[in-house]
Amino acid sequence: MNKKKIILGLGFVVIGLLLFTFGEVGLFSNNAMRYLLQIFIYITLGEMWNLLSGFAGMTSLGQQTFIGIAGYSIAMATTVYKMNFGTGILIGVGICIVTSSLLAFLLLKMEGMYFSITTWVIAEALGTFFLSWGYVGQGAGMTISISPYPRIDALYAMSLILCFVTLIVVYLLLNSRLGLGLTAMRDNISAASCMGVNIGRSKFVVYLIAAVFTGLAGSILFINKGTIYPESGFSIGWTISMVFIVIIGGSGTIEGPIIGSVIYVFLQEFLAHYPGWSNIILGIIAIVIILYMPEGIVGAIRNRSFTKLLKKSKGK
Amino acid sequence: MYIVQVLVNGILLGGIYAGIGLGMSLILGIVKLTNLAHGEYIIMGAFLSSILTTALGIDPLLTLFVSVPTMFFFGYALQRVLINHGMKRGAEPALLVTFGISIILKDGMLMLFTPDARHVATSYSNSVVTVAGIDISLLNIILLIVCAVFIFVLKRFLEKTDIGRAIRATADDTEAAQLSGINVAHTFAIAMGIATAASAVAGTCVSMKWTFYPTSGGEYLLIAFVVVVISGLGDICGTLLAGVMFGLMQVIGGASYGRLISYIFLIVILVFNPRELMGRFLRDRRERSLSKKEVKADE
Repeated sequence: MNKKKIILGLGFVVIGLLLFTFGEVGLFSNNAMRYLLQIFIYITLGEMWNLLSGFAGMTSLGQQTFIGIAGYSIAMATTVYKMNFGTGILIGVGICIVTSSLLAFLLLKMEGMYFSITTWVIAEALGTFFLSWGYVGQGAGMTISISPYPRIDALYAMSLILCFVTLIVVYLLLNSRLGLGLTAMRDNISAASCMGVNIGRSKFVVYLIAAVFTGLAGSILFINKGTIYPESGFSIGWTISMVFIVIIGGSGTIEGPIIGSVIYVFLQEFLAHYPGWSNIILGIIAIVIILYMPEGIVGAIRNRSFTKLLKKSKGK
Repeated sequence: MYIVQVLVNGILLGGIYAGIGLGMSLILGIVKLTNLAHGEYIIMGAFLSSILTTALGIDPLLTLFVSVPTMFFFGYALQRVLINHGMKRGAEPALLVTFGISIILKDGMLMLFTPDARHVATSYSNSVVTVAGIDISLLNIILLIVCAVFIFVLKRFLEKTDIGRAIRATADDTEAAQLSGINVAHTFAIAMGIATAASAVAGTCVSMKWTFYPTSGGEYLLIAFVVVVISGLGDICGTLLAGVMFGLMQVIGGASYGRLISYIFLIVILVFNPRELMGRFLRDRRERSLSKKEVKADE
């Protein structure tokens, strides 16, 4: 078991280094790097939504709050105050931490449906507010101008590092005392509380971590995009993609969002040839998977290998 | 005088807002499901009435005779075929199924009807009645009457008919209802059908009052949430009262801040009283009268 873990860990590091060097040496074309960047960003977003919903049982429909906040911070910092983009990202993370701690006071008392609705309403309220806020350019939004504008390989490297740090953080978190408490909390909140899990603190830590990493992903996303306006920053569309990625891959697993993001990015690219149909097909796939494959692709594979094992042991 | 004018406008708008919240309230109260596709149902109702009005050349209110049954069967089928199966797996998968339905409906309507704004105009759209120096829009009065009549009919239906009793029994205790021989899957589907029919009524009102787009479902879903949270789940008459409150908020906040005010109001209610505002008040009163009856019975 331990050997297997070491091999997996080594494989993980090797894949990361290979992807990094390939990108920096110039083996990937710009287009390939753009796809990989999207996949890395979506893995980060998916892992964070999975951490909230799949592990801690907090189904948030409002993670776009932090994407929008981070996107606007970087736009303001670089365009209006002429800072370099590193400082902009740090400011964005800082604002995300402050906002999420404030929101945690409001949100963490709520359960189930009330939590989901309130997170979404907060995102909508912020979007509406930014629409009429003169400081951030109202509905017209902002064009991000950084000089010199970071090139695609720099963004690629940033998203790769972010994605790998996310995976390591999620892995460590889930194997810590806190993570065990989280899964206990998701399965039965009162039982977990009786066994000494500090519910409030665990929820707070998870919500904070999710906010920070979602914000980081959001800032890289908007540097790559170049423009931001309220409808794109605070769009419910971000949550749609996170939900889709986690459901396809398998909710409550670390591997799930990775597989989900790869499928999502390729599906989107493929469906771009059929304008208008893409969300319809994504919706149908999501419903079919919820109804017939509730544990996603990873869950289905696990179940199959499990039944194989059972058959083998019976054969002996 | 100006204040009275504003208050009257707000109260008259309350009917539409109550209609928008009604379907959501029924589904939350009876089926215990957060229906994220509710806004899309309303927009579907709006499109149905706009298409029928232009095709047949009749008053949009008459299209209700076609759109209400159509939407009822649509909702019934959707619940029976998809959502009931999702609900077997728990609350969260069911929520995500409705999320999927909302995406599909929204993009389906975008392809069918193009992203253009639509509006249904009638001969009385801009007529104004002046009573004691206060201008009252005729359209607003008619829409308030339509929604109030629908709410009243629905209340009688739930109180007096067998299927209405079955629905209320299922809402109170699903298991006990099942043990008494009620087909819960069928009852849930009927409840969803009634909710989509209510959305058809609300949709027709929306199409006559405002312009709408295939993508404006989310906006109406949020309005429905606000109305439901103010009124309390499944409380039909409370919905009308909450609609009026919401209408007043919109009118006082004006075009630019009305939405923001209502969002903030919703968040405040959810934070300080995650259950309901009106609902709790009504329930307390009901319990008090019940306990009085018990005391009498004991004596």
